[in-house]
Amino acid sequence: MSRRLLLLLLVVLAMLGSGCSSTPPPPQGGSGGTLRLAYLADMAQADPDVFYDIEGNTVILSVYEGLLKYKPDSTEVIPSLAESWEVSPDGLTYTFHLRTGVKFQDGTPFNAQAVKMSFQRRLDVGAAPSYMLEPVASMQTPDATTFVVRLKHPVAPFLHYMASSWGPKIISPKALADNAGKDHAQTWAKEHASGTGPFQLTAFERGQRYELTRFDGYWGQKAHVDKVEIRIIPDIGTQRLQLQSGDLDAILHSFPVAELASVKSNPDLQVRDFSSFLNAIIYLNTNKQPLSDPALRTALAGAIDRDSLVKEVYGPYAKPSTSTYPSGLLDPALAPVAYPPSETTAAAGAGKKLTFAFTADDSGIHRRLAELVQQRLDAAGFSVTIKEVQLPQVYEYVNDLQAAPDMVLQTNTPDGAHPDMWARIEWYSKGGLNYLGYKSPQVDRLLDQALETTDKATSDRDYGQAGKILAQDTGIIFVADPRDVMVLRKNLTGVEHVPNYPWALNLAALQKG
Amino acid sequence: MARFALTRLASLVGILLGLSVVVFLLEAVVPADPVRAMVGASALPQIVEAKRHELGLDRPLPAQYAQFLSRAVRGDLSMSLHTRRPVRTDIGAFLPATVELAATALALAVVLGGALGLLTARGGGTSLRVALVASASVPAFLLALLLLIVFYARFGWFPGSGRISPDLGAPTGPTGLLIIDGLVHGRLDVVRDALAHLALPALCLALGPAVALGRTLRSSLQTVLVSDHIRTARAKGLTERGVLLRHGVRPALNAPLTMAGLQVGMLLAGVVVVESVFAWPGLGLYTVRAIASVDFPAIAGVTLVMGAVYVIVNALVDLAQVAADPRLHAR
Repeated sequence: MSRRLLLLLLVVLAMLGSGCSSTPPPPQGGSGGTLRLAYLADMAQADPDVFYDIEGNTVILSVYEGLLKYKPDSTEVIPSLAESWEVSPDGLTYTFHLRTGVKFQDGTPFNAQAVKMSFQRRLDVGAAPSYMLEPVASMQTPDATTFVVRLKHPVAPFLHYMASSWGPKIISPKALADNAGKDHAQTWAKEHASGTGPFQLTAFERGQRYELTRFDGYWGQKAHVDKVEIRIIPDIGTQRLQLQSGDLDAILHSFPVAELASVKSNPDLQVRDFSSFLNAIIYLNTNKQPLSDPALRTALAGAIDRDSLVKEVYGPYAKPSTSTYPSGLLDPALAPVAYPPSETTAAAGAGKKLTFAFTADDSGIHRRLAELVQQRLDAAGFSVTIKEVQLPQVYEYVNDLQAAPDMVLQTNTPDGAHPDMWARIEWYSKGGLNYLGYKSPQVDRLLDQALETTDKATSDRDYGQAGKILAQDTGIIFVADPRDVMVLRKNLTGVEHVPNYPWALNLAALQKG
Repeated sequence: MARFALTRLASLVGILLGLSVVVFLLEAVVPADPVRAMVGASALPQIVEAKRHELGLDRPLPAQYAQFLSRAVRGDLSMSLHTRRPVRTDIGAFLPATVELAATALALAVVLGGALGLLTARGGGTSLRVALVASASVPAFLLALLLLIVFYARFGWFPGSGRISPDLGAPTGPTGLLIIDGLVHGRLDVVRDALAHLALPALCLALGPAVALGRTLRSSLQTVLVSDHIRTARAKGLTERGVLLRHGVRPALNAPLTMAGLQVGMLLAGVVVVESVFAWPGLGLYTVRAIASVDFPAIAGVTLVMGAVYVIVNALVDLAQVAADPRLHAR
């Protein structure tokens, strides 16, 4: 009887399954097919004036465009909706000459007035990304294709603000007016979009999937694929199975490094790695014992034995940081980092107790790094306790630095490819990511000076000097410059990556062979 | 009956109050700054403070709790910090997926557990017992991955994630339960697709409770099978099967029903893991994300809803016990 029952169960399972093939061929709306991607987490919202996350970049950058963008594999700012621009010698006036013949996805024309409305909306909404427009004194639209911004003071990275993936994006004025409500159309923009980009957002199913459909009225090179289907699959193991089974075309981040080797032997898959501005760093709490002692901080940095650590954790997919700035932002020679060899710091710890917090990441890299750092520091005589925390807890540390951990591990990336956009959030005394309250009046002064300097060589020197002071101080340990690693199906071509847009590819350029 | 309903209602209110206090105490002891995390690192200080004020998070904890309660009794569970929507809207959107999954898993657990109990009570069913116990002793996340590797990646019998194939154009409503909605709209393709998506996650969730149910049923059946009325039934010449099904099961249901009510709690806890692995867009997934953002309004909302479901299910179990065993009426 029991065997019969088991058999019956299996038959039922098989009947249920076999009828519904798990891998239906993608609907062929046109010739390009459907590109299938996955996010590990819900992007929460598609409003470009509120969105300030990394997961979700691909949607924002496909649907919306800003005035400028970055050239692939480069930090060079190139035209997007602005064809050209001029900056006045005093660094206060930016004149953008806009592209003509551009249409929003709702069919209305793009012009200078639309740019002004979108900039104003960003300020009115007043969420985090509005900091980029905070220095704006006035905006003018002398004609339909000219947009003039006057700043309150010179802002060295202003063009990089315009090219940032979190920078101002231009939204259809009609869509904003039709859906204005009482919140500058924020309710609408959470789940809807009308930009000028190569894809339209045609479905936003929270917690489940997003769908992008090719915008045939796009002014530039039209997208190759007809649709992009982005499903939310919060488990990297499940994503991997789906990629191997051909239900996904690419995994754009967090693929476990240890398993990349097995992928390489799979004839259907390709591993691609790109330069990025991702930076794995360890913040040190200089505000309390024992790490208030600079000599101890330097010895600790040496005891970690960074070179072998990076090799062990990232394999070939990261290099030990050579500068206090992510590689590519500033000439490394201007702000180099070097730590004493671990042999010289063998007994540096002398029994001192340290707490070490790290935020969990999906690839498991942070946990691995934290455990190895703990081992090495314990070997050097420290007594280290590690703990996993959530990001909102990390933000709380600065409110009570005496209760905060001695060390915090985090991987960050700057908003744009400009040294100010890294230094100002990481080590400026009021910086948003200065989790453990590093403070140096000299660093603050140099950064403020550099921000308003119009001569690049002079400002770079100041940024370098600020970085050097931090490096001498060992306020932060710069551990690694990881690569942006992606695993794609072999038949995907047209892979185009920008170092400043982590976890993202230009979806319009991708082609399914 | 009225007294039963009243005591259950009172205990529901008490439990929900208790849960809400626990969640708020958690908020007090976990130092975190969800507002900074919500608006982003580069936000100007005045923006962070304005948001904090808007959300009422600059007020003392008791005041926040009072505000939460006064809103909650009106059905307003505040705004989620992560999705920036009312928590009630979010729960409305994610709950049906979890209900569908948990209900299917429970049904599956009852069937499997019932089979296990009936078969093993008479000393048989060894292979079913071994199969069930073995798979139930594997941790849920591992079992989920194993099921995926075998039935999705290897054989391709079942889909790998989600509730429904996106290109199917499934009806939205009226219940949010895809199987029922599919039947209502006469879309058998939707029903089949939804069942195929349900099979693996539901099986994964059902195995643990199935074993617990089966074992309880087995031991209470064994007690019943040596009682006087069973001897009488056998003496009347009924077949062993007839004895078991007609005279044995009903008096033996009390303990398994209690166990089923308790296992609903296990099921609700299990959905967090299972929904993550199978990308099942339900409350479990929503909770994982809420915890990562230290999104207390969302965590509190989910806790209250799950608590209410648990209490209600156990009240239904009590009713079912009375129906199964009329002797309980007298008490």
